[in-house]
Amino acid sequence: MRRLAALPLAGLFLLPLLLSLALVLPGLTDAAAVRALLVHPQFSGALGLTLLTGLASTALSLICALVIIFASGGAGLARRAGLFLALPHLSMAIGLAFLIMPAGLLARLVAVFAGLMAPPQWLTTQDPWGVSLTAALVLKETPFLVWAFASLLNRDDLRAALQGQAAAARSLGHGPASTFLRITLPQLLPQVKGPLIAVLAYGLSVVDMALVIGPTQPPTLAQLLWTDINDADPATAARGAAGVLLLTVLAGVVIAAAAGMVHLVQPLWRRFCAGAPRVGAVRPQHAAWLWSAWSALHVVLVLVMILQSLAARWPFPLFLPEAWTLKAWLQIAGDARPLLTSFALAVATAAAAVLACVAWFETQPQKADVIPAIPAILTLCLPSLLWALGQYRLFLALGITGTWAALFFAHALPVFAYAFLFLRGPYRAFDPRWQQAAAGLKAGRWRTLFQVKLPLLKAPLLATAAVGFAVSVAQFVPAQLAAAGRHATLPMEAVTLSAGGNRPLIAAYGLALMALPLMAFTLAGLLGRPRWRPS
Amino acid sequence: MTLRLNEVALFLNGAPLLKSFSLEVAAGEIVSIMGPSGSGKSALLSFIGGDLPPAITATGSVWLNGADLAAAPPERRGIARLFQDDLLFPHMTVAENLLFAVPRATQAERQSRVKDALQQADLAGFENRPPHTLSGGQRARVALLRALLSRPAAILLDEPFGKLDQTLREAMRAFTFGHIRTRNIPALLVTHDREDVPAGGRVLHILPGGDIRHV
Repeated sequence: MRRLAALPLAGLFLLPLLLSLALVLPGLTDAAAVRALLVHPQFSGALGLTLLTGLASTALSLICALVIIFASGGAGLARRAGLFLALPHLSMAIGLAFLIMPAGLLARLVAVFAGLMAPPQWLTTQDPWGVSLTAALVLKETPFLVWAFASLLNRDDLRAALQGQAAAARSLGHGPASTFLRITLPQLLPQVKGPLIAVLAYGLSVVDMALVIGPTQPPTLAQLLWTDINDADPATAARGAAGVLLLTVLAGVVIAAAAGMVHLVQPLWRRFCAGAPRVGAVRPQHAAWLWSAWSALHVVLVLVMILQSLAARWPFPLFLPEAWTLKAWLQIAGDARPLLTSFALAVATAAAAVLACVAWFETQPQKADVIPAIPAILTLCLPSLLWALGQYRLFLALGITGTWAALFFAHALPVFAYAFLFLRGPYRAFDPRWQQAAAGLKAGRWRTLFQVKLPLLKAPLLATAAVGFAVSVAQFVPAQLAAAGRHATLPMEAVTLSAGGNRPLIAAYGLALMALPLMAFTLAGLLGRPRWRPS
Repeated sequence: MTLRLNEVALFLNGAPLLKSFSLEVAAGEIVSIMGPSGSGKSALLSFIGGDLPPAITATGSVWLNGADLAAAPPERRGIARLFQDDLLFPHMTVAENLLFAVPRATQAERQSRVKDALQQADLAGFENRPPHTLSGGQRARVALLRALLSRPAAILLDEPFGKLDQTLREAMRAFTFGHIRTRNIPALLVTHDREDVPAGGRVLHILPGGDIRHV
């Protein structure tokens, strides 16, 4: 019974992941494919862009997150950051593209002041330097890092220790900024290594956002490989596969190099930390605007997409469309299959993930948690291209590409990874005395579980389901490969459309993509409210 | 150098916690404030130090050497504090903890001040030790050295001996009071242990209801 309960997690997550990796890893030995990639005319340009956008977006996201944490003291940020996390990155990229494109709202604003009558000739989306891609990545990753820091600071012991130390530092003559940089930061940074690695790996390997807003001539490496993988010619597909492994190695090398750099600057850093008291003029209040700006920008992006989705004619430089239409929305409603497919897959994978995790936590000892935890972390830190490609080969071998089973497994892998990591903390922190008390009242194992434990864990369980739902809705690479052209999900449609010029429809898809997870989080928040709050 | 409290009163969520009182602490004097826990002793020190928690409000003023501290943030007050915990920064060595407090000067000058301080406290050779490898008594001494190295104009002690062994306490009191008198700065000591009060020192008792009785 005990062993059996571990099966869902092992069978739906661990086994497919291991098989996928086993199927994809031998590809590195394909010397011809590697050579073909190295002589690809766009290879070096793509490599440079990948490094540039990956490193720049990681560094900028970290800086933004630190400023936000400094401004707020880290208190009460986790909720809002969590909400931003729920917004699909693809929607962000679409909204941002509409905001900054030559005929976008930003250009119209400039036109009012500069008196332009025609859209400016600027190359803002898909710019050759990947600036817009970097901006989109920063938009997505900063809330993730804020959330990582805020969850750390939500730990009572750590927050109390840091607050005490900060008070001591202030009484010794250090101002708020000096205290933050010398006392708080050095103790927080080592604990967000994992999230930082995930951010860097994501930035180096992102496909869907790059297809919408990234450079094209040359594209980033991930885009280049994505085109190759989807090529009908086996040699080209093999070149793509070899490239995916190369990209994984590259991510590993960059992370190792970053770790080496950190090690090298350690003595300097320590000396800085022990520096003399500095009162400084910078106060947390000076930085508070950044987090507000973050919220405001999200509102603007949603507004831009709403306007764009309803605009039949929107000549430059008008602020509002001249003629309105519901065509895009009617089209989505008319062929609702992508919407329903995304919804069904999200419900199925999120429910399966929560059930499998509960079964695991209820029956397996806490020390066994590393067995799924390491693969889960690996899933988040490896380029999704890598495991998705392995999965694709697995589906081909089983002859199930294009089936619902393949789609389910493709979405389940990242959903299970997130759900496990998300639920582990609250579930394992559950006070066992509640169960002991229930047992003392002669309640059996099942009754204790359903009447005491799960109701008390309602909020984290629902939040986990919402996270799983949002993760599933956002999947592009694994979904596209598994669907084999026979099914379409929202992100697949959105990416396909973004190559064309139907702006209302692109915007409507961006919004629909965003509406699903928002709905899930709202529902989880409402249902997860405690019956009453102890005063 | 004097520390003067002028008609200071504290309120917890609007309700009186400490009733209005005034006090002047002369240079080199150590005035003790005694009261049960929750009586507002620590909050009083937070008010003087400039980081009152949001639930507590205060009226009255704090003057140090003739200057009103009302508008000054903690780091500009020149008031060092010793807390119930030693609060040595865990990511820094003993020497780095002390350097953190030494005001700006050449690196050699700052280093030598740290070295002298450690020598005085029988802690020579401890420079590169991480704080967690020190004994409780050693940590307490480093915390005091750190506070004094910042050249404070006054010092606030918040039950600094409460977490030490009985045997260590006597030695630590002598060490602490000796250093403060040598510096000739005013000090306020908050405690609930009669034994902590220095011989012949003035004591303020916080009575139930928030009245203050001078002894």
